[in-house]
Amino acid sequence: MKTGLYIHIPFCQQKCLYCDFPSYDNLTHLYQPYVAALCQEISGWGGVLSGTLIDTIYIGGGTPSLLSADALKAILTKVHESFSIDESAEISVEANPGTTNQDKLLALTSGGVNRISFGVQTFSNTLLKSIGRIHSAEQAVRAVKEAQDAGFSNINLDLMYGLPGQSCKDLKVSIQEAIKLDITHISVYGLKVEEGTPFAAMDQLGTLILPEEAVDEEMYTFTTEYLPQHGFRRYEISNFSKVGYECRHNFKYWKYHPYIGVGVAAHSFFQKERLSNITDVSQYIDCVEKGNLPIEFRENPSIAIAMAEYIFLALRMVWGLSILEFQEYFNRDFYLEYGVIVSELLQKKLIAVKEDRINLTVLGMKYGNVVFRAFLPG
Amino acid sequence: MKTNNIRNFSIIAHIDHGKSTLADRLIEYTGTLSSRQMEAQVLDNMDLERERGITIKAQSVRLEYTAKDGETYMLNLIDTPGHVDFTYEVSRSLAACEGALLIVDAAQGIEAQTLANVYLALDNDLEIITVINKIDLPSADPERVKQEVEDVIGLDTSEAVLTSAKSGIGIEEVLESIVKKIPPPKGNVEEPLCALIFDSHFDAYKGVIAYVRVINGIIKPGMKMKMMATNKIVEVTEVGVFRPAMTNVSELAPGHVGFVAGSIKNVKDVRVGDTITDADRPVAEALPGYRKVTPMVYCGLYPVDSSEYDLLRDALEKLKLNDASLVFEPETSSALGFGFRCGFLGLLHMEVIQERLEREYNITLITTAPSVIYRVFKTDGEIFEIENPSKLPTPQEIEHIEEPYVKAMVIVPNDYVGVVMELSQEKRGEFKDMKYLDVTRVMLTYELPLSEIIYDYFDRLKSATRGYASLDYELLGYRESKLVKLDILLNSEPVDALSIIVHRDKATYRGRILVEKLRGIIPRQMFEIPIQAAIGNKVIARETVRAMRKDVLAKCYGGDISRKRKLLEKQKEGKKRMKQVGNVEVPQEAFMAILKID
Repeated sequence: MKTGLYIHIPFCQQKCLYCDFPSYDNLTHLYQPYVAALCQEISGWGGVLSGTLIDTIYIGGGTPSLLSADALKAILTKVHESFSIDESAEISVEANPGTTNQDKLLALTSGGVNRISFGVQTFSNTLLKSIGRIHSAEQAVRAVKEAQDAGFSNINLDLMYGLPGQSCKDLKVSIQEAIKLDITHISVYGLKVEEGTPFAAMDQLGTLILPEEAVDEEMYTFTTEYLPQHGFRRYEISNFSKVGYECRHNFKYWKYHPYIGVGVAAHSFFQKERLSNITDVSQYIDCVEKGNLPIEFRENPSIAIAMAEYIFLALRMVWGLSILEFQEYFNRDFYLEYGVIVSELLQKKLIAVKEDRINLTVLGMKYGNVVFRAFLPG
Repeated sequence: MKTNNIRNFSIIAHIDHGKSTLADRLIEYTGTLSSRQMEAQVLDNMDLERERGITIKAQSVRLEYTAKDGETYMLNLIDTPGHVDFTYEVSRSLAACEGALLIVDAAQGIEAQTLANVYLALDNDLEIITVINKIDLPSADPERVKQEVEDVIGLDTSEAVLTSAKSGIGIEEVLESIVKKIPPPKGNVEEPLCALIFDSHFDAYKGVIAYVRVINGIIKPGMKMKMMATNKIVEVTEVGVFRPAMTNVSELAPGHVGFVAGSIKNVKDVRVGDTITDADRPVAEALPGYRKVTPMVYCGLYPVDSSEYDLLRDALEKLKLNDASLVFEPETSSALGFGFRCGFLGLLHMEVIQERLEREYNITLITTAPSVIYRVFKTDGEIFEIENPSKLPTPQEIEHIEEPYVKAMVIVPNDYVGVVMELSQEKRGEFKDMKYLDVTRVMLTYELPLSEIIYDYFDRLKSATRGYASLDYELLGYRESKLVKLDILLNSEPVDALSIIVHRDKATYRGRILVEKLRGIIPRQMFEIPIQAAIGNKVIARETVRAMRKDVLAKCYGGDISRKRKLLEKQKEGKKRMKQVGNVEVPQEAFMAILKID
């Protein structure tokens, strides 16, 4: 089966105050050895996957665009050397405004990258500062234009709502600014205060003033209504795109398809097993240099867990879950397993059933966790 | 061994005054167990007992001690439960002895619990040896404590033994004192068998094992024994002693303490306080003091997961094998489904059973607020008892209601007399007496409704007096009270399991506090949930749990599905302890919320 490839770049110029992703600042000295180790891991997987077609590649982070043009080129070259890549593969890179330039953008396009995703978060300079972003709104606009000049036509912007001090109007302005930039895809994430982040510490001290719940809800509702009215279909809980520009790499996750993750803390779903890599950069480099697999954790989900995952991932998408596909994949009768749960969720108006498919309703999208939890065993 | 060389004794002490530690030292000193075999506090062998530092079941151990006079003595220590819930069991254990060690903490002095048990011992004509323990504490004041024992109980303390069980000081003196001061048992080997049952336990292979003290006659395998209260006759299959492991012997003679087994299936046939006699040559009269144990406190126990109902029933049945005082019968609640109404000796007993069900049998339980037994006098002349508030008839049908009252004794430092009086007053207590035990310590006697005691009296007492107060109580009888049923409505639906019976004058206050408390406990859900307290049709308090605006994980980062799933699993785990009541998810602790009000 065609497989996805995820490549993780765990470096940032500065950690954002809300971020709990595996990414580190102040590790400039490790860029070079990391890229070398990454290339080595890519080669290794290339051997394992010989004969398998790769049809989506996603270079994420961290901030991949922090690497030099040469480093980016080296990675892409290694990828092309190591894997058979589908002609029409989607190859995405994440970038932060303020870290891209013409050289890097050209290195990307010439390396086959055809989709770029900018972490913009908001077009308010005040808000950008308050969440610890390194760039301004103007830099964001410029970065998108430069990318378009370099030949990128498939562009995503990440936006956030529920930021401290953010009003519904701020969000509206940001969404409008984003749409104006003639892009194809917008992801809108609600801020969540994650354990261990500076925001969590501020929250404890009482210095983090988040929008009231009613405002937060208004922003959510606004986003989910406004974007579809302006040509961006909501095809997943937090993702909106022009038709045909859905992120195909994300489908790997949601459709229970296999994907390989390389680099620090990268996750793979390979031969129905979930693997994840070492999260410490130095340890990762050491491990790969010694010729070992940098895998820190593997999990073979039980059938009950696998089925639950399959369902809750599928339900995130507007197309929902195909019962026939589910039954084919697991060789189990769906309603025998979940009939009671389906009836309860229908009663709560959280899901809808149409022929072979189950979808979240608009209400169900809002209370997705209620639905997802229901399918988990136990 | 000659009867003259037997000593049967018990230990009376307040929690934490060092009973178990002293018992361990005696076992160690007499070489009954080597220190390597000693697990700290050998006698409290239930996990729960060790954790809580209390004794729940009576235990017994036989020690052999060669005294300074050169003679070897058989010392039978009968360890007693140390809690007011088990007063009857304590009295039966004491009845099996000729003497008792009264352990008093050299720094803290006498506590209410100690006092109550000393009186029980005196009622049983026991010789009491005063042991002042923890004398090596910096704050120890043995002289003051001795004086207190003399003034309050009237015991001669000139020969009190000073010990530190923890440091092993004074252990030999205790043993010598036991030998010299406690009289040997009287008893006649020729008389018909007469033995007192002071505890029992269930063994999967041997059936019920009775713990006995032989008064007269001999008991040995092969003979037919009869339990006089239940008229049950069985053949004795084994007799033995506790060293402390059960060790078979050929017979038990007068004065001996040990166990008897006889393939008895039901613990109900072996009642604490009953007399065992020889079925072929019975005694005319049973030993005095036996009574049937009746529960004082009832609550509903429901499995959170209704599929665990059978599991719960089996677990209760198993616990009952070892605990004749536990009663239960099936009941249904419209809110909670199928469960059991269970009766307990008191709150501690209830908590212990609850905890054992959750821990040993792994059942997630919902416990409804404990209730006493109310006597309802209906206008049509009918009189009946209810132990479940939701069973109370409508006010129009009720002529009056009676509730159980207790006599409560509280011992506190004099600084706290005021706060205890205020609290007792608030709890509808009637002041009876105040006595200075010494210059600084006071004993207050109140008559209080039992329902107030099980509600939060003890917790409040402890916190109001910074833990200095000690409490003991005994049942007085039933008295008329102005009681009403307070109902709780969730989403406009009454929840039977949350109904309580309260005094009319307190209903509004309790109702208001309870709905506030529930608002804090019931998590926000997809819709708004009104919580109301009502008496009859009249709503007296209302709170609202606001709707949760949304509940969805947005980010699905880099294919890390496991993390997302684990987060959902964790949330689901939290929900497991919730019960679906109508369309509202109600956490387990909501049903006990009524107890946690201050």
